[in-house]
Amino acid sequence: MPHRLEITLKPGLFDAEGQGIRNKTLNYFGISLDAVRTIQVITIDAALTPDQLIKIQTGIFSNPVTQVSAFTPLALDFDWTIWVGFRPGVKDNAGSTAVEAVEDVLGIRLNPGEAIYTSKRYCIQARDLTDIQADTLAGELLANDIIQQWRIYSKSSWNPAVGIGMMIPKVQLNHSPAVAAIPVDSDRNLEAVSLSRNLALNPNDIPIIRQYFFNPSVRRDRAKWGLTDPTDIELEYLSQARSDHCNHNTFRGLFRYRNLDTGDSVTVNNLFKTCIEAPTLALKAQKPWVISVLWDNAGAARFDDDHYYVITGETHNSPSNMEAYGGAITGIVGVYRDPLGTGKGARLIMGSYGFCVGPRDYSGNLKPRLHPRRLLDGIIEGVRDGGNKSGIPTTFGQTLFHPGYMGKCLVFVTALGIMPAKIDGHPAEDKKTSAGDLVIMCGGRVGKDGIHGVTASSEVFSQHTPAGHVQIGDPYTQKKMHDFLLEARDSGLIQFITDNGGGGLSSSIGESALSSNGCAIQLEKVPLKYEGLDQWEIWISESQERMTLAIKPKHLDAFMSLSRKHAVESTVIGEYTDSGKLHITYEGTTCAWIDLDLLSSGFPQWEFDADWQSPETRGLFEPVLKAPGDYRRLLLDMLSRPNLCSKEWITRQYDHEVQGSSVVKPLVGKDRDVASDASVIRPVLASERGIVFTQALLPLYSQIDAHAMTTCTIDEAVRRLISVGADMDQIGGVDNFCWPSIQYHPVNNPDGRLKAAQLVRSCLALKEMCLAYGIPLLSGKDSMYVDGHLAGKYGETHKVSALETLQFSASSIISDITRCVTLDPKATGDRVYVLGLTRNELGGSEYYDHFGYVGLNVPQVFSNRFIPMYRALSKAIESRMVASCHGIYSGGLGIHLALVAMAGNLGMAIDLSHLPLEEPMRDDQALFSESAGRFIVTVSADNEQAFEAQMTGQSFACIGKTTDEAGDLEIRKGSGNPLLSVSITELKTAWKKPFGALI
Amino acid sequence: MSNVNVLIQTGYGLNCDLETAHAFELAGASPTRIHINSLVDGSVRLESYQILVFGGGFSWGDDHGAGVIHAVRLGTHIGEQLLEFIDKGNLVIGICNGFQTLVNLGLLPGLDGDYRQRSVALTFNDCGNFRDQWVSLKAAPDSPCVFTKGMDGFELPVRHGEGKFHADPAIISRLEENHQIALRYCLPDGTEANGWFPHNPNGSVRDIAGICDPTGRIFGLMPHPEAYHHFTNHPDWTRIQETNRRNGVTAAPSVTPGIRILENAVNFIRSR
Repeated sequence: MPHRLEITLKPGLFDAEGQGIRNKTLNYFGISLDAVRTIQVITIDAALTPDQLIKIQTGIFSNPVTQVSAFTPLALDFDWTIWVGFRPGVKDNAGSTAVEAVEDVLGIRLNPGEAIYTSKRYCIQARDLTDIQADTLAGELLANDIIQQWRIYSKSSWNPAVGIGMMIPKVQLNHSPAVAAIPVDSDRNLEAVSLSRNLALNPNDIPIIRQYFFNPSVRRDRAKWGLTDPTDIELEYLSQARSDHCNHNTFRGLFRYRNLDTGDSVTVNNLFKTCIEAPTLALKAQKPWVISVLWDNAGAARFDDDHYYVITGETHNSPSNMEAYGGAITGIVGVYRDPLGTGKGARLIMGSYGFCVGPRDYSGNLKPRLHPRRLLDGIIEGVRDGGNKSGIPTTFGQTLFHPGYMGKCLVFVTALGIMPAKIDGHPAEDKKTSAGDLVIMCGGRVGKDGIHGVTASSEVFSQHTPAGHVQIGDPYTQKKMHDFLLEARDSGLIQFITDNGGGGLSSSIGESALSSNGCAIQLEKVPLKYEGLDQWEIWISESQERMTLAIKPKHLDAFMSLSRKHAVESTVIGEYTDSGKLHITYEGTTCAWIDLDLLSSGFPQWEFDADWQSPETRGLFEPVLKAPGDYRRLLLDMLSRPNLCSKEWITRQYDHEVQGSSVVKPLVGKDRDVASDASVIRPVLASERGIVFTQALLPLYSQIDAHAMTTCTIDEAVRRLISVGADMDQIGGVDNFCWPSIQYHPVNNPDGRLKAAQLVRSCLALKEMCLAYGIPLLSGKDSMYVDGHLAGKYGETHKVSALETLQFSASSIISDITRCVTLDPKATGDRVYVLGLTRNELGGSEYYDHFGYVGLNVPQVFSNRFIPMYRALSKAIESRMVASCHGIYSGGLGIHLALVAMAGNLGMAIDLSHLPLEEPMRDDQALFSESAGRFIVTVSADNEQAFEAQMTGQSFACIGKTTDEAGDLEIRKGSGNPLLSVSITELKTAWKKPFGALI
Repeated sequence: MSNVNVLIQTGYGLNCDLETAHAFELAGASPTRIHINSLVDGSVRLESYQILVFGGGFSWGDDHGAGVIHAVRLGTHIGEQLLEFIDKGNLVIGICNGFQTLVNLGLLPGLDGDYRQRSVALTFNDCGNFRDQWVSLKAAPDSPCVFTKGMDGFELPVRHGEGKFHADPAIISRLEENHQIALRYCLPDGTEANGWFPHNPNGSVRDIAGICDPTGRIFGLMPHPEAYHHFTNHPDWTRIQETNRRNGVTAAPSVTPGIRILENAVNFIRSR
């Protein structure tokens, strides 16, 4: 019989969680609650004696100093009480650790089927709260119906003896696993199956699949194993392998690019090969520090002679859009498995995030599944727990607001790891499977989680998207596995390692079996969370925290005892062969037998029409503006714009110093509150060498031209690295494309051809910039279909597409961290320089957006002119001439002068008449143009001459000086009254106004 | 000089072990990282060590109270061995998650030599969230604490969601009588924080950041000494370095407060 323990803080103790709920209720819904107390509920579905119950109550679950608890409902005062628990099958991390602890303390093992579940009961005091409001609270703040269930009790409907009763979200499938053969007699029938089983097979693939299974010799061989038509496992395997997520069909597609203005047209065959692979290989040939690119889970670059660092970036958009916390934590924990699965395994050393969401204060008619504010809170918390609980510093991040992301939000997560150059004498970046190696699944168990996640993220989000692929990552289980696998690696036990992400075993084994050219899997050996999964479900389940390894039989005992020591579950589920076949059996019966090379055999390439029209032709133009009068108000209002204002509340939630490697933190300056251009870590603690990391994101420019969006994004990333002192010759890049659907459809996607042209232009720009700046692409990913259909005021739905978005992450080396520079001026009387020309380039700027304009003159990148200046500046930084350095990014000179002043808590006297301009322009244009290739640098008087000598020949000028501590930012144009004069305090107040109250 | 052997626990979600080992090396000790299960199964015993470290991290994911399950597991399996280790005059330090584990084990506060009694707790920050920031700290000059000996005001990072020190007023006053409150959050100028957020980052009563047992040989603190083992760990280091350059100060940065704390421990063992 089950038992229910309720635990709460002693009366009088401050309930921080309850207070947080009160605040959110007020912010989200304008409802004020008098008090909220939270009760932890532990439901023990196990046969335990009264003594055992008391022992775990007092020993584990109830803190004598702070808590009270009882196996009967706690009698807390409330007007409403709301119980929230998980739906059956949703990962209950605290429930699993509870079992560990109980078994340890009692020295017992729970019987099969017995379990412990955690849930919460909120006691709300608010006399006037209506039942509708209580329901809103439950459904829109406390719980998400995708993963949770809830019960609402009013004071009168509550039975104090029974309480919530026994809520046991136990999975009971009562289903005996069976393999089904799927008739493929006609294309139409297979298409129907694809639809009904959510296989998302591409119609063009279907004939090829049928051809294979109708091939007489194939049918003959299959007959030997008792197979005729394809089994469901086989079709699921093909569906996973052919999905856009795994196979990148879009980037490998054929693009017919036409310039409708000129009539010119060109065919681009395979964007990946031409724009990503080709330049990266060319650069790899010139740069010996590039170790391993374009094939593994992450790219590898040399850190020093004895270490390589690895880097990759992912997105987790669709799941986060539906269950923000679960989607985001699964995303960050998932990307952390990539470095771990690179080469023979890398130790995680840092992570970063990029969030693109709708306006936090959105109050329009569209009804996204989660309001942008709740969505953002959820993804922040998901990445927080995923990163912090993994013991990996989150040293950088960006958050960007735009209504286009209400259709689907973007959650970028990037991970870096480090590995020794050699593992017992062999290159650490190499790995291969060989016939006879054992196939090992390591980490979590398999459930129905995430089934069809891959195919779902290859579709546009709508009410029909299966929510089943939303999971909750478990950083605790993964951290144990991480520590175990690194020890196994260093003991030379690992031949091959890769992670289980999209496509689960189907992808990890399917791909790893290619190097040995075959595998034989006994599916019944895969450990399950609960019985009743069909074979195909076991095969493609995306249950998290799992790695797939190849080890030599002679290493099995050593590997398994190490696994036990680390309390990690590892299981042999088959072996690698050289049969050329993927052979899957279940209790001796063959359920899949398929040629591995089928995938490389002539599946048709996807094709796209890409029609470009210049912004002018599309009707874009420069707004007709006259110079403003009140520059002071203007600057303060600009600083309060969501995309420019302080987001310290997010940064502080992330542990950015664990591992003790922090050199340049995400927040710098006198008051430690201004976002740094880049972060620097010292991953090898005994060394003075550092890794510099940054990201850039400029989707607003895509409104005009995704080519400019791309060149400017990469130029910004390069300047961010240089600003802190990175080596220009060791820059590696990670491209993360997030694009709306580019497949033209007259009704559903009428502008698909333009979006396709934007993608082509973006990829060509990527290639140009990588070659110009010498940036090999160490890794990258693409996530298409960033569109959503949102209900409007009258129940009609609107398709909302995201801006064409590229997040570019860049990393480099700094050989001596003590040469790092931060953006804050250090002393009064220092010279303030602007490097680089300012042009009339406000198209897509924050300034134009402030007035609701897009404009036309989007910033351009002139790399051949920029590079000599960047090199000169790098030299000046290396020679320690520079006191502070900061790039000029979105918002333009005015905003970034303000940021620099705030960071140093020093006033500045600026004279715009010295500002290097390409052409004469209005002062507002000079202050808010977002021209690329610019920096703000401060230099002490005693370094003035040396610095100017160093920069000779470049476009730069001294435009003023730093003044008093906590003084004013004063900007004038020659003699006469200043355009503006505003104190640091006022600047900060405006800059922190939007989010300053959040913690 | 004789080796000072330091045992740093690892596994089950603990995560500051590498930098803690590095910091102890800088402090002149010989650290070893040992998995909790190697202690539990007896393959490693505490005899050959003089300093036992409960490090930072998220043991068991912080589920059911930070440090609770770690404490239960050690108490259940090697409780006696721990008490012997302490009786022998050795040192124990608990950092962040490790501090939480020490109070749940009862090794702290250890009033009247009772090292099993849970009488204080570290609970959720008043701000309601995990928080990473540097704090100003003040060491109590009259505390028996071995680790903060001769130290006054300094800065360290805190990175936690459950660092609010709580206990009954009676217990608090006994801690004060015994001078067991070795470390307090304070204002940058060294004066009392009086609970002022964010100087006191979590709402701890009496601004408590760390306490020791009556002997001063068991020390628990929320801030991370191991995370300030290099001068570039400090948030202001580029400002300090530039100012020094201008003032003609070229001397290499002195040993960090984080390392001082560990050196105090190492020297105590050497000199006993």
